[in-house]
Amino acid sequence: MVAFYKKLAFKVVKKAITRQHDLNYLFWECTTRCNLHCLHCGSDCSKDSRHADMPVDDFLRAVDTIENRSPYFTVVFTGGEPLLRSDLELCGKELRKRGFRWSIVTNGHLYDKQRHISLLNAGMGALTISLDGLNDSHNWLRNNPASFDIVSNAIELAASSNRINFDVVSCINQKNINELEQLREFLISKNVRAWRLFTIIPIGRATNIPDLSLTDQQFLTLMNFIAKYRNHNEIDIKFSCEGYVGRYEPLVRDSRFFCRAGINIGSILIDGSISACPNIDRSFAQGTIYTDNFYEVWQHRFQPFRNREWTKTGQCASCKDYKDCQGNGFHNWHGSKENVLVCHHAKIENALKNHSLS
Amino acid sequence: MVKNHFTMKRNVIRKIVGGISFTSALFVFQACYGTPQDLGFDVLVEGQVKAKSTGLPIKGIRVAVADQLQYELTDSEGKFSFYAYKQEGLKLQFKDADAAENGVYLDKDTVLTGLSDRVSLEILLEEH
Repeated sequence: MVAFYKKLAFKVVKKAITRQHDLNYLFWECTTRCNLHCLHCGSDCSKDSRHADMPVDDFLRAVDTIENRSPYFTVVFTGGEPLLRSDLELCGKELRKRGFRWSIVTNGHLYDKQRHISLLNAGMGALTISLDGLNDSHNWLRNNPASFDIVSNAIELAASSNRINFDVVSCINQKNINELEQLREFLISKNVRAWRLFTIIPIGRATNIPDLSLTDQQFLTLMNFIAKYRNHNEIDIKFSCEGYVGRYEPLVRDSRFFCRAGINIGSILIDGSISACPNIDRSFAQGTIYTDNFYEVWQHRFQPFRNREWTKTGQCASCKDYKDCQGNGFHNWHGSKENVLVCHHAKIENALKNHSLS
Repeated sequence: MVKNHFTMKRNVIRKIVGGISFTSALFVFQACYGTPQDLGFDVLVEGQVKAKSTGLPIKGIRVAVADQLQYELTDSEGKFSFYAYKQEGLKLQFKDADAAENGVYLDKDTVLTGLSDRVSLEILLEEH
């Protein structure tokens, strides 16, 4: 009974938040240059990007249009590899002067002691570093034989700060699915307090490598692993908000699935496009900072993000869980958009069905 | 006027929604490929370091947070500015880092209490 009312209350809140659509999380794709060439890269980044890095002044001009800012508004520097830019600290200080908080998603390769200090000094408040398995599996995915050691050092450094809200993210795939227990122990040994796991969506370079996608049974294993350790105190483990997971919803995250792309999450992409999460199909761009007022676009456009009825197609059309899921994470709609790329809920149900048959 | 009314309405709705939310789900979340949100545990520490005898600014003083890696060097105007973890009894250490280049000064420690979001300091160092 309590669970029923909790779910109902969540639906009411979700509806109100969607109607309100406060912007309080802004990605800035500040570069598409990268110092790695990962097998799973969704953005097809490269060392020599065809886009020049966006000047800080262009970004700040767009940010300055934002009115009525929500509490905890965070600007997230992403890429590419953001730490390739030497002016992040400058930008970060300018954001703090304006009352914004900011954070970075990084592969960790350039996160050394000096950069750690300069970023903290400039007011960085949160940080995410990727670690995708133990030595061999991480290096395989990152396409670099030295990556694990470098990233381990970066993680140790970041975890030593009591200031930043820091977590490690891991892309779970066929190479590391059997390492979850060891990886958890490793992260605990490095004093990491939060670990977020997600799977790889078949977009960008990830499209052509079958080992990157989990089988239905492996995905169920991942859910069970997270559920098992959710209530342990050593490290906060959660599944990312990448997709709706049906019966596992109350067991693997802090709150139920709610894709906030275009509802609370916006982005300014490398070419000035205004959108939501950077891994969303670029055809969903709602404008550009070079000809539009960023905040007006946020306030008055974004209809496909705030009314997702259009996703009721393909396998979603007849799904009984559609009201809770609403087409899964928005980044699951690419290309022709005739069907959702991945249905996490279906993977779980298929795995359970096959398990009961065998 | 229209904008103010609109802003007030949004704030009222925000408070109502926040009130009925039994978690902090309204504002605190993380995008699937983003970072956690910064919940604001820091303080802006800024100020100027001067020589006690002359009142002139001192360049090259290392301003460090005790027991942490963080530090910054004062500039040519003796100024420093950085964000530090907000904690009661935050201890800052001022140390002459460039030997005799800009004069030689004695070290000094300062403990900060009752911190708000920003603290401004004037530090006077004695010559060695």
